[in-house]
Amino acid sequence: MTQETLLQTLRAEFGAAVTGPDPAAPRRLLLDVERARLPEIARRLIALGARYQVGVGSDDRARGLGFGLIHLFAFDKSGFTTAIRTSAPAETPEFPSITPDIPVAGWTEREYRDLLGFRFPGHPKPKKLILADDWPDGIYPLRKEVPYNLVPPAAEDVAYQLDEAPPGTTMVPVGPFHSSLHEPAHFAVYVDGETIKGCDYRGFMTHRGIEKLCQTQVSYNEIPFVAERICGICGSVHATAYAQSVEEAAGLAVPRRAEFIRVLMLELERIHSHLLWLGVAGHLIGFDTVFMHAWRVREPVMWLSERITGNRKTYGMVVLGGVRRDISPETAEDIRSVLKKVEAEVLGLKAAILKDSLIHKRTKGVGHMPKAEAERWSLVGPVARARSIDIDARRDHPYAAYNELSFDVPTADSCDVWGTVLVRLLEVFESVKIMRQVLDKMPAGPILAAPQEALPAFRHGLSMVEAPRGESVHYVITGEENRPERWRVRAPTYTNLQGVPRMLLDNQFADFPIIVGSIDPCYSCTDRAVVVERGTGRERVWDRAELTTLSRAGGK
Amino acid sequence: MLAKLAKKAFPKSLWVYHCNSGACNGCDIEILNVLTPYYDVERFGIKLVGSPRHADAMLLSGAVTRPTLPLVKRAFEAMPAPKLVFGIGSCAVGGGCWFDTYNVSGGGATALPMDYYIPGCPPRPEAILFGVALALGLVDQKAAPVELKQVEFPLDASLRTQAWQDRNAIYKWLKD
Repeated sequence: MTQETLLQTLRAEFGAAVTGPDPAAPRRLLLDVERARLPEIARRLIALGARYQVGVGSDDRARGLGFGLIHLFAFDKSGFTTAIRTSAPAETPEFPSITPDIPVAGWTEREYRDLLGFRFPGHPKPKKLILADDWPDGIYPLRKEVPYNLVPPAAEDVAYQLDEAPPGTTMVPVGPFHSSLHEPAHFAVYVDGETIKGCDYRGFMTHRGIEKLCQTQVSYNEIPFVAERICGICGSVHATAYAQSVEEAAGLAVPRRAEFIRVLMLELERIHSHLLWLGVAGHLIGFDTVFMHAWRVREPVMWLSERITGNRKTYGMVVLGGVRRDISPETAEDIRSVLKKVEAEVLGLKAAILKDSLIHKRTKGVGHMPKAEAERWSLVGPVARARSIDIDARRDHPYAAYNELSFDVPTADSCDVWGTVLVRLLEVFESVKIMRQVLDKMPAGPILAAPQEALPAFRHGLSMVEAPRGESVHYVITGEENRPERWRVRAPTYTNLQGVPRMLLDNQFADFPIIVGSIDPCYSCTDRAVVVERGTGRERVWDRAELTTLSRAGGK
Repeated sequence: MLAKLAKKAFPKSLWVYHCNSGACNGCDIEILNVLTPYYDVERFGIKLVGSPRHADAMLLSGAVTRPTLPLVKRAFEAMPAPKLVFGIGSCAVGGGCWFDTYNVSGGGATALPMDYYIPGCPPRPEAILFGVALALGLVDQKAAPVELKQVEFPLDASLRTQAWQDRNAIYKWLKD
């Protein structure tokens, strides 16, 4: 399918309810749809093979356009994306909910319920997601009239509004501070004996208001550095994704050499992130040898990053129109020698892991989620590829220099945690391969485009970057005053975490850390929320007191 | 003074609890990194523990966000006295670049009595090791006090700059 055939199909089926495409979004299909028919059109897009990405809500009242909501869909096989936009009048910001059909839209809608005060009739779980439970109603931080630093007075001891435990189960709280979670997040796990029967999540505790901050305080060229600090692991991913979306919206051309250097940084980040995850996974199943080994192998990569960019994590490489530092021939040699060493070490690590029966026993069949379910929940990244969903933004929607590079996309069909281990291990070798090609093929030339006077306002840009955890989506609407009107960040954990309750279902409670860990959760990226599987239908076997006694006896 | 107290209070091993109050993972990973073979913090008897009830010191990373503010306080209360608090990274020191946004209460000092700050974005593992070792009195402070001298009256300097610029402008006009 192409963009034209899709447009024709939609026009034929929905007639005047679909208008556009809007020329404000160069190279993308941005369609305006009638508000009442939104769920119908979204359903049709999914039936045509689209994957739901995320929604972008915006406050356009200053321009007399009321509130806007854009839903993004990707057609991975055909390599294009579609955005459908609806708007609602300022007095009644009401949009029909698409969550009953597309469960993964649940968080998006709850997010805008909190931040923009939208209402979604028909949403199955209209609860707070982003803002704290003591945040007063009626203050919506993303609305234009609310200053970025407005802090309403806090109230102490406000309980989380969790779902009721399904009958016959007991709630085990995990978090907000828990040794298996490296970031604050609260999981209420409903167990029947040792078996998990459901889970509710209250997270978004590291929500720092970055989108609002960047839409009101800083300028285009400063945002890449703030974007880098969204996440301490995939900093380059966010900076590159932001820069690419602004470049697309404004039509800025980036020098080819800069694009190759961006790829180099992205792949370097993937290697260190996957080794980091491998170590953490080993730690979560109580196998600290893997942790120590993986992080020992990873350390030379960090030193290399420091030699290339001057810092171990926050690289400060990407700016609009290119990158800030060049790769000299000496640095290229240095990269090659480190790659050689890391590749040899990871080969050893891989052989050890593939033969280790303990890791097999702790990961095989754990966190099982069939392919159909994974597609329904729009999983991305290694979590999806471990469930034989063959998607990778680097190949399906090539950006930067990926169209010139050849690499494989490893997949697994075991649909469990073991598959994610395998996929990530194999991806390290692919990254090494890509980096070698980058060093060979990198053309000479400038690394930064000439600066522009001013970027055009109210143009739309979308960028997808394959982060180590999956696809990161950035959506930018350019604005006046040298800063974006709207900047939406969707990290891969945002979608993957919504599928976690399904992965946990019917697993042992002892496997909870590794199942949550298997998506490589990054709450600081996500900081956004949840779904619960309810109702076990099973009869209650033990009462609470007995369970307590049993669990205590087991703990001794 | 604090270093002496710490040396007395924690003569042998120090068990630390890592508390993420809203960090971006950068500092958290560097904290985990000091446990790994290249840095190996355990040779100083320092161990990372999973519960604040077992800990002597807290490593706080990240700006304290609105939802975590009461939680951080409760984790601190759960620690047995005497206790130390380290702020790791720019966000824990002063709140970072989002110190005043709607969901952030500020740096670590808004929630807890901080004892030591280890700045950096993120601080290197060596810096974390050095900071903790300094607190325990294992190493000496490297910074020396800076003596400030009155150099030149600033007005004088600005007048001279002005005069130089005027002269330069004349040469430029002559050239044109």
